[in-house]
Amino acid sequence: MWRLNKVRHKAGRRGCSLEELKFKRRDHEKELRQARKDRQLVSKRLLLNEDDEVDSGMDIQSSDQVVELFLKVLNGGEERGDHLSTLRKALRNPSTHLILIKQENSMHVLVGLLSGSNAQCRLEAVRCLHELSHSPHPSVGPACLPATPYLLTYLSGQSAKFTELCLYTLGNLCPDSDAIVEKLLAQGLIPALANCIQIQRSSLAVVEAVGFTLSQLLQAKHAAEKISPLVLASGLVPHLLSVLTVDPQFGLSPAIECAWCLHYLICSNVDNGALLVQGALSQCSALLVTLGGAVAEGTQQEGIELLIWPLLRCVGNLLSSRPLRELEPQLRDARLLATLCTFTLVFLQTQPALARESTWVLNNITADSSRFCSALLFLNLVPSLIQMLPFSRGINTMVLRILGNVAHKGSEYCIQLVKAGLLPALCATLKMADQEMVTLSLEVLLMMLSSSPQVVVEFVKQSGQSLLEAIQYNSEGEMRLRATYLLENNLTPTDP
Amino acid sequence: MLQPELIQHLKCGHIISIETIPTLPVDSKSWQCRRLEQPSGDSGTEEALSPFTFAPHGIHLSQEHEIFEDGDIHRHLYLQDLSSSTADADNSPKLSVSAFGCHISGCNQVFSSVEEYEHHYNSLHRHVCCSCQRSLPSARLLDIHIQEWHDPLFTILTQKQDMFQCLVEGCELKFKTGIQRKDHLIRIHKYPPDFRTKHMKIQQPTDRTMEVSDGVCVVESACEGACNMASIHPEEGESMEVPLPPEEAICLVTGATSGPSEMNTEHPAGPPTVPHATDQQKPRYSYRVPSSVCFGKGSVRGFRGQGRKK
Repeated sequence: MWRLNKVRHKAGRRGCSLEELKFKRRDHEKELRQARKDRQLVSKRLLLNEDDEVDSGMDIQSSDQVVELFLKVLNGGEERGDHLSTLRKALRNPSTHLILIKQENSMHVLVGLLSGSNAQCRLEAVRCLHELSHSPHPSVGPACLPATPYLLTYLSGQSAKFTELCLYTLGNLCPDSDAIVEKLLAQGLIPALANCIQIQRSSLAVVEAVGFTLSQLLQAKHAAEKISPLVLASGLVPHLLSVLTVDPQFGLSPAIECAWCLHYLICSNVDNGALLVQGALSQCSALLVTLGGAVAEGTQQEGIELLIWPLLRCVGNLLSSRPLRELEPQLRDARLLATLCTFTLVFLQTQPALARESTWVLNNITADSSRFCSALLFLNLVPSLIQMLPFSRGINTMVLRILGNVAHKGSEYCIQLVKAGLLPALCATLKMADQEMVTLSLEVLLMMLSSSPQVVVEFVKQSGQSLLEAIQYNSEGEMRLRATYLLENNLTPTDP
Repeated sequence: MLQPELIQHLKCGHIISIETIPTLPVDSKSWQCRRLEQPSGDSGTEEALSPFTFAPHGIHLSQEHEIFEDGDIHRHLYLQDLSSSTADADNSPKLSVSAFGCHISGCNQVFSSVEEYEHHYNSLHRHVCCSCQRSLPSARLLDIHIQEWHDPLFTILTQKQDMFQCLVEGCELKFKTGIQRKDHLIRIHKYPPDFRTKHMKIQQPTDRTMEVSDGVCVVESACEGACNMASIHPEEGESMEVPLPPEEAICLVTGATSGPSEMNTEHPAGPPTVPHATDQQKPRYSYRVPSSVCFGKGSVRGFRGQGRKK
């Protein structure tokens, strides 16, 4: 069974020092970033078996040994299952994969065992296929195609463990080629997944596996056009949504997978209306609030950001898909605002990109809603937002947008913003080197100064006027123009 | 860093229904109204276009958007079994803090705090002569500078009386010539013997103050010496002056004064400009900066704080 905390066991196993591990990870991260830029970011998952950790790890010395093992399997007999098991352990070493598939009839044999009557052989055969599906060699995946109809059949089977293996195997095969995906779709992968999640709903390990496989499918090329519509029509969505909870024993993993599926579905923009009708927004935001509570108290589980991330994206993009007033029935809980603020503050140091996405969602929820702007003020969240203004790389500009959204609503809102301490904050942001920050600050300032004479007086008291005068000397026209405008129109002119 | 209130909201354990929160009234005045017409008193009135463009709007992010990059990488590291809390702590992208930067064009100073910015600005940019854009470190020196450089009466008066003030605050002495003053500064106030700065002026004043160039230079370099600007701002070293590229220099004329204000409205897209100081016609009055020029409100007086009369 694959779980987060297994990683540590793995780290200790091969004598990898922590340093080596970190180095490996950093390197790998660079590769992933490049892959993403090339639109080729794919991953596979390998289920660790319980006995894998006990074993010292079989190292195959030569291709002859693989062939030998295979021939033993081929020859049958009572020990077939054991030979197959040995072969499967050998396949943990990726260099054996090509050797095996090049053996004549190897896949035929495996498929035969997979669909045969011997339970042990079936299990070992599927494990072999699972190892092969995880292969880094691009030709191995396609070689496994003959097995897929059988794997699909087993999705409606009763054995949770077996089903889980089939699912991850199928999920691993998806990124290998478009041809595989097309075959799988034609063979009925999506209805099979829908059926599977329904009958195996009580097994959260299987649910997680379904989520994973579906997420792989939804990341395929042209998924938006070809796959998302099929998924939306399949009845999978209500099940995905029902998984969006935190199970106290099982943890976050199934929810993580399902949330990513929803994110891909929403991004495909095929039918967000249907998703909304099925309660996607309320479900995602409710879970976010639950997670927010844990984070605020400091009791969050390890890896919680893995779930927060896709949920934020679902909510953010659903919010921007419709005018907000249409969505208000699904957004009853004002704690969502507090949650988003909390995420931004708590993850600021450890995951600044997450903090940034949180502010993005806050922008989307306040952009068009006097209700949520009022709530932001009422819950006294503005001081928290102001705390974020020093932080760049997209965070402070988004926060200024949020404050601008509030100020835009009118004088009452501006007065509350002044009470919350926005003016001194603006006097600081107006001095920043970041042009976008200064320009946005001037935009917000326009609204603030236009709201009431008292605000103007306050601003001038804080030497705001000379600040604007300094900005008139800036080399950027956008800033000069705005500063000049404010000086000429909003600040009380002295007697000539 | 979390305010207790924030935690309270989330700990309360029940929905805070948005409907129970009072919604503040929305002002019907829209910001588009701010694109006002000028009061019809001015000749050649045109609509002063507001340069402001902000409008609240939701932002949709596509799956491949770069904002999503870190999150995607995090996800895939997890899938590939490479995530672990210890590795995360070291590899997490570093938070970055916005720097502050001096606005004055040509001055590219960057600061890590508002205090540094303020100190810089107050030291360098507060006392700018509008005619020649020279920056003087103190109001007093600015005054002396204006008087000696840009006041046409100055030369005339020097023929009758001692006009060159000692630069040291508190020393009331005045001298007949710039050279005498310089001597005084060196002998009595221990100025460095050679404080004629090698930094050239940005431009020569077009008026007749060439005769008092000695005095002018003395004012210049004495400012450096007297105020020890070099030591206060070693990184600025060369000059306490901030040379503004002429085309960038903006001396705004606000209100309904003639000529330049119309230029403002005619060219909304570009920086408001007035004819360059050197292009200006012979002034009708002294070059002492009138209140509506340069910094818009009381100019020099504005910098010297409250209470100064016109």
